Amino acid sequence: MGHRDGSERAITASAEDQRIAWLAALAITIHAAETALPTPLPGVKPGLANIITITVLVTYGWGAAAWVTGLRVVAGSLLLGTFLTPTFILSVGGALASLAVLRLAQHLPGAGFSATGYSVAAALAHMGAQFALAWALFIPHPGLIYLLPILLTVALFFGILNGIIAARLVRALTDAAPGHAPP
Amino acid sequence: MTRADRMLLAVAAALVMVLYGVLWQPGPGREAHILSAAGKPLQLDLDQARTVTIPGRLGPSVVEIDHGRARFVASPCTGKLCIRAGWQQRAGAVAACLPNGVSLSIGGGDRRFDAINF
Amino acid sequence: MSAALRRASIVPVCAALLLTACTAPPKVHSRSFLAFGTLVEVTVAGVEAEQAEAAIAAVEREFQYMHRSWHPWEAGALARVNELLATGEWFSVAPSVRPMIVEAGRLAEASGQRFNPAIGALVKLWGFHQDERPAGPPPAAEAIAELVAAQPRMSDLELDGIRLRSRNPAVVLDFGGFAKGYGIDRTVELLRRLGVENAIVNTGGDLRAIGSRGDRPWRIGVRDPRGEGVLASLETEGDTSVFTSGDYERYFDHDGERYHHILDPATGQPARGLVSVTVLAADGATADAAATALFVAGPESWPRVARDLGLARVMVVGADGSVHLTPGMARQVQIEDSTRAVMVEPLP
Repeated sequence: MGHRDGSERAITASAEDQRIAWLAALAITIHAAETALPTPLPGVKPGLANIITITVLVTYGWGAAAWVTGLRVVAGSLLLGTFLTPTFILSVGGALASLAVLRLAQHLPGAGFSATGYSVAAALAHMGAQFALAWALFIPHPGLIYLLPILLTVALFFGILNGIIAARLVRALTDAAPGHAPP
Repeated sequence: MTRADRMLLAVAAALVMVLYGVLWQPGPGREAHILSAAGKPLQLDLDQARTVTIPGRLGPSVVEIDHGRARFVASPCTGKLCIRAGWQQRAGAVAACLPNGVSLSIGGGDRRFDAINF
Repeated sequence: MSAALRRASIVPVCAALLLTACTAPPKVHSRSFLAFGTLVEVTVAGVEAEQAEAAIAAVEREFQYMHRSWHPWEAGALARVNELLATGEWFSVAPSVRPMIVEAGRLAEASGQRFNPAIGALVKLWGFHQDERPAGPPPAAEAIAELVAAQPRMSDLELDGIRLRSRNPAVVLDFGGFAKGYGIDRTVELLRRLGVENAIVNTGGDLRAIGSRGDRPWRIGVRDPRGEGVLASLETEGDTSVFTSGDYERYFDHDGERYHHILDPATGQPARGLVSVTVLAADGATADAAATALFVAGPESWPRVARDLGLARVMVVGADGSVHLTPGMARQVQIEDSTRAVMVEPLP
């Protein structure tokens, strides 16, 4: 992971790197904890770990967010023993969709979004992708479509909630590291 | 919350509402089609509990609708076959009071098809 | 959207509108009515509403007439024929019944007596001769054995011009497994005489389709015999009759066992082994009789009987839920349920 000014340094973890690593660990923990939650569709989760993704996105940029998310998905699945299982595929799908949407959202012209907006967009993309994958790959039952509005409502709710929490987290982080402006 | 946030939320909420509307629409299967030799064909939502009286050749037949199914509860015929047929629930299921000329069928032939064979 | 973009969009939008004007939607009219002891639905395409309505009304009247004529026991032409057959004497057979006797006789022979409309007495013994569902219990074994031993067959009938007699007093004609198909064929002829070339006549699930919907072939769905959904779908090419015989149509339960109406003439008992048989053929009479005959033939013999009847398109659902198709059927039909075991059985 290169430094912003493009110069080369000795590989010492900067405060920023350490913070990001800490956030990544937190994301993995949340991801693991989420497995305890009941869900109507196996493997489909409210994506609470997205709080971290959004926080990192707003504070450190998309690249960092992508890295944290990737780490969360892979390391998290290795930790839980779900690596390469259907749950893993759903997790990857949701993460990829969220990141893609976030990238798009960042580049929209105009004033742009805050943490809440990003979070909602990511949550809907996450849930949408997970549903699509679950339906296409695992449970092609036509009746499944009735679950979609419910799942998206849940995603919307958690998207807003996560966004609010992420906003708080961002403020806490920028307070802790003054002089670092969000991109 | 920025203005962009609020707009996104509004759009997302609207999208979800639309999906409920579209996907949760009572499909053609959730209707009772009542035919009577004496009157016009009736189409009734199966999700709305009620009883209907249908005039027939011999007299009125009474149909009860409840929770996605329907059945004959009274009819002026002698055999009472229609009543004995019980609750009709499957798409395409039919109960009929032939002497009275009244039939009750559950709609829901897949719209993809012009006719269903069974 | 910039002004230039907006202006440029007008072209494709106009083009789309013009295109929709070119392809007019097909004229399709449909009506359901009670007749022939069941719910009948007639769908007509390619003619104006008035002509369609008049044609459908004519079909309705024809069904009502046939139902009265062909009931084996209620006062009507067939009931009278049965009375006279029992005497063993020569008599003049009603013109509405004679062609049915000839056709049914041919099919009974070709199916090795598995389709046997002469067993009306056995059908009545079981209680399946009337619209009402029998209450059970099943008839006594001795009574069944007696009727089976009498071996009533279509070949016991002698036809000389319009004169008919039976050599076997046990023959009672019940065209239950055949009348729908035959009746549908007659109404299709009627529709053609009235100038309708594209239609579907559907009597309680068994149907015949002629022509097409206009913009595309007719699409028929075959229902899963044990469920609610569609098991198989097909598009018709030319005249296609689709008839299904199943153990779920008419039956009664007694002591935990199900007794359905498709009796095996050789044993006098409901035929076992298959859940449903679907036959595609050009005319309804053949499809109807064949569906009955193949159901009676059972899981081992049905391919052979199908060949003997000259059928190429047959679908059979076994007691284990597996689906078996002839190669001709596999070409025309699409199995909608991907979880089913589907086997293609070449005809011997």
